[in-house]
Amino acid sequence: MAGQRVGVRAKEQADARYFLVALCLFLALMLGFPALANLWYSFSNFSFRDLTGGSFAGLANYKQAIGNPGLWSALGFSLRFGLICAAIELALGLALVFVLHPLLARRPWLTGILMLPMMVSPALMGVMYRLILNEFTGVIPAYLQILGWPINFLGKNNVYYTVIGIEILQWTPFAFLILLTARQSIPMELEEAAAVDGAIGARLNALVILPNMIPTIIIVGFIRFIDSFRVFDHIYVLTGGGPGNTTTSLSIYIYKLFFNQNVLGEAVAVSIMLLVASLTLLFAGLRLAVRTRAR
Amino acid sequence: MLRRKILAAAAAAVITTLGATAALADITILAWPGGPAEVALRKVVDQYNATAGKAANSKASLIYFSRDSFFDKMLADAAAGSKEFDVMLTATYNVGKYAPFMTPVDDLITPDIKNTFPQSAIDTQSYNGHVYGIPTDLSLHFIYYRKDLIDKLLSDDAWKAKYAAITKDKLGTEMKPKAPADWTWDDFIATALFFTQSINPDSPVRYGTVLQMKNLLFNIMIFEGAVASYGGNWLDKDGKVTVDTDAFKKGLDVYKKIADAEATPGDSNSYEYGDANAAFGTGQVAFMLQWSAAYAELIDPKQYPAIEGKFDITHEPAGPEGIKTHFHTLGLGLNKASDKKDEAKKFLAYLATPEAMTMYTKEGGQPPVVDKIMQAVAAGRPDMLMMGDNAAKYGFVPNGGTSADALGVYTNMAENFTGYWNGTIDQATAIKKVTDYMTGVFKK
Amino acid sequence: MIVARKGIGSRIGQALRWTVFIVTGVLLNLPIIMTLMTSFKTMADINTSPPPLIFTPTLDNYREVLAGGNTDLLSYILNSVVIAGGGALLAIALTFPAAYAMVRHEVGKSWLLPLITNLRAVPLIIFAIPIYLMYQLAGLLDTWTGMILIECVINIPVALVLFVGFIQDIPEEMDAAAKIDGASSLRTLWHVIFPLSRPILLAVLILSFVYGWNEFLFGLILTTRQAVPVTVGATFFVTTYGVKWGATAAAMTLGIVPPLILGLFAYPYIGKSMLTGAVKG
Repeated sequence: MAGQRVGVRAKEQADARYFLVALCLFLALMLGFPALANLWYSFSNFSFRDLTGGSFAGLANYKQAIGNPGLWSALGFSLRFGLICAAIELALGLALVFVLHPLLARRPWLTGILMLPMMVSPALMGVMYRLILNEFTGVIPAYLQILGWPINFLGKNNVYYTVIGIEILQWTPFAFLILLTARQSIPMELEEAAAVDGAIGARLNALVILPNMIPTIIIVGFIRFIDSFRVFDHIYVLTGGGPGNTTTSLSIYIYKLFFNQNVLGEAVAVSIMLLVASLTLLFAGLRLAVRTRAR
Repeated sequence: MLRRKILAAAAAAVITTLGATAALADITILAWPGGPAEVALRKVVDQYNATAGKAANSKASLIYFSRDSFFDKMLADAAAGSKEFDVMLTATYNVGKYAPFMTPVDDLITPDIKNTFPQSAIDTQSYNGHVYGIPTDLSLHFIYYRKDLIDKLLSDDAWKAKYAAITKDKLGTEMKPKAPADWTWDDFIATALFFTQSINPDSPVRYGTVLQMKNLLFNIMIFEGAVASYGGNWLDKDGKVTVDTDAFKKGLDVYKKIADAEATPGDSNSYEYGDANAAFGTGQVAFMLQWSAAYAELIDPKQYPAIEGKFDITHEPAGPEGIKTHFHTLGLGLNKASDKKDEAKKFLAYLATPEAMTMYTKEGGQPPVVDKIMQAVAAGRPDMLMMGDNAAKYGFVPNGGTSADALGVYTNMAENFTGYWNGTIDQATAIKKVTDYMTGVFKK
Repeated sequence: MIVARKGIGSRIGQALRWTVFIVTGVLLNLPIIMTLMTSFKTMADINTSPPPLIFTPTLDNYREVLAGGNTDLLSYILNSVVIAGGGALLAIALTFPAAYAMVRHEVGKSWLLPLITNLRAVPLIIFAIPIYLMYQLAGLLDTWTGMILIECVINIPVALVLFVGFIQDIPEEMDAAAKIDGASSLRTLWHVIFPLSRPILLAVLILSFVYGWNEFLFGLILTTRQAVPVTVGATFFVTTYGVKWGATAAAMTLGIVPPLILGLFAYPYIGKSMLTGAVKG
């Protein structure tokens, strides 16, 4: 019996591998060459001048990358930006799910209105914010000023918070949508059973619903962190990473190394170090996340 | 299933072959997008296709990338040897960077071409002794100022007194108002303070000026005129970096003083070309330093009714070394990877004729052409005359400003100088960081 | 008595929910509302300070973007629909079975999942040049296929993580029942897991579509004429001679329509939890 069972499991595992084959093959085809090429770039003095050439340069790119103080401030910005945005988006998304779930369960199309902000490309939205938040032509600052509340959203003292605010406005819907999906997948009888025990309203949410949503919360927080961590478009369009380098995210930093400073090797070296670092963190973190299961 | 695939593949092959034959003599031109220049170039290309092109059995068509990240896209294409375009854009500040992917057009620089362009214009498209492009558009900076406001300042005694009081209070010396054409950088600062409502509540506009202080490399080009007028340059004769000099410090402080006095909008740290136009165009700013291209836009009352008939342009303020303005040209040159260089050259040769350039200018282009062509079209284009004149008299390209690393230098300056103006780093740090970077790239 | 109190309480609750919904809806969409307004303004109205709230609307901006002659916005939108749609569907087709295998059979979950997820953290720019060279060889530059493939790569990490997270929560008894009946893994996946996963499938479809729809960098680098997406196409109105705010706003507004339509069709299904019904049955 036991032997048979192991046999079935082994067969199933073999079956299951087929499900992975397509994905792995696809990624290998698309990213295999780029990954190898990048590895070579990072160890050579390759440049735009000759994309197929370049000669071995040892660890020079890595040394240069680590020695560049810009890297550390960009990394700091991205980490902080990612954490702040993910935390706020998660909190807002969760609050909205609890408040709006009953409403949206009956009128699901309303969800669409809350999803709209995601549907505009951040690159374009960045351009538009230049108009909307402009001290002269911007509707929002102009009327806040008339109300006696002058705020320079893009001024040097506020721009940091503004780029965070923009990210949150655009991506809270993401957190909301996934959390809503999780909330709506919680079986009714769980709620009913809890209600019989006298758990309603906030208590129901805190004691029954929330624990059931924890895996999803971790996953959403994780995705939002990663996406915000590598933020590029709207900040690049709005501030160019400035003033100074106060809003230079790691992606903007790498982009500038790549295209403007023409040190491709260094740009790739930074990315590879990032890859290794985050991989290390992920092996620990993600395994934890996907194993944490509501019982 | 298989048969369908084979059919599809066969069809694709046929189409490709057909396309290839049809396209044999057709060339594609990648040009700078937008505005009157695009409109003008389209007309010139149409004209070419109807005349010289037709005679040569060659047809030219245009493609444009978006202006955002234009050069990044072109760099990727050019470096990878793309054949998507045969003629590509060149610019003074990156001709060195793109030179490896281009074929020089030295043989087009015949004595005849001097009937179209002055030598100085051709020089802006040269790198390491080769000419890479036919110049099509000249770019430099003007002061755009409100005539009505300046006139009143120069004539109204109460305003003059106030001007004297403000300059004494804020700058330590009593100054008299001057006309913008006679300004030094001190007058520039003083007038900016005077027209700022937080300093002078009687000012009819909110701010004196609008500076473009976003961390963007093009903004440094605007700023460069100030440094040059104080005698500054990137490199000295021996190739040594000369950023840690009085000239740079004084130039930096022109911006810093205005920013600290809040005589420029509070969000100037995120301003570039378009934002500055919006500020000036709403009639809330007395004057600004801006690209010559803005004239064609601001003069249109349909777009900017608030300043209709109220503004004028003049050259940049003077420093101890006289008046200077950063200038560059955009041009069109040959993609090295192109299979149709001969056809492409025919087009470029046509482009360099006086007829083509006269047409281009009339339709709204801003080419750096000889006086004769300039005069012929001057009636409709007051900015054209001043551009040619200013470029010849005050035009300045820094040493190293056409090298392969010029864009990197501008990028680095943008980061550090905007940091200084907006108070995130001090002047010494900004200068040191730029010096270190430039020393690194020019040592190579 | 008790019933009446409950009625009032729930009605107040309902009113509160509506208030929260409206406030959030307006706040989150404020930038879009502004964009919409801008798209109906003339340049003169746009360049007025303070900006007028009430103005005579004009269709000039839409006329310019649709019939301006020099840009072909409708074909950019079509390109984007194909690219974003293809990229999303392909990513789902590749990751959904993989996620199932990872969760139920513990294949590759410990190493492959983190490895793939990790791709998300890397700035894509470093792949731009090698992929460009690769596409050039394969003739994929400036094609729908090429763009679909790259959007798919971008979507894979998030799709995979979300699927893994969701499938984990499906009680294992459900496919155990199918297996006892002798169903193969493929049949179990198709007949049991797939229908149960409808909410997350649609959520991932929308999100992947949106990611593909919003992507700018590869759209810029890898296309020139034939496959230009609308994100890149709309920036053609940001010119050297100034930003055509009205035209840009009109292009953006038109660009919102397709994902909006997709969303409106999909949300009702997300709302209906399949799992609830299944467990009951």
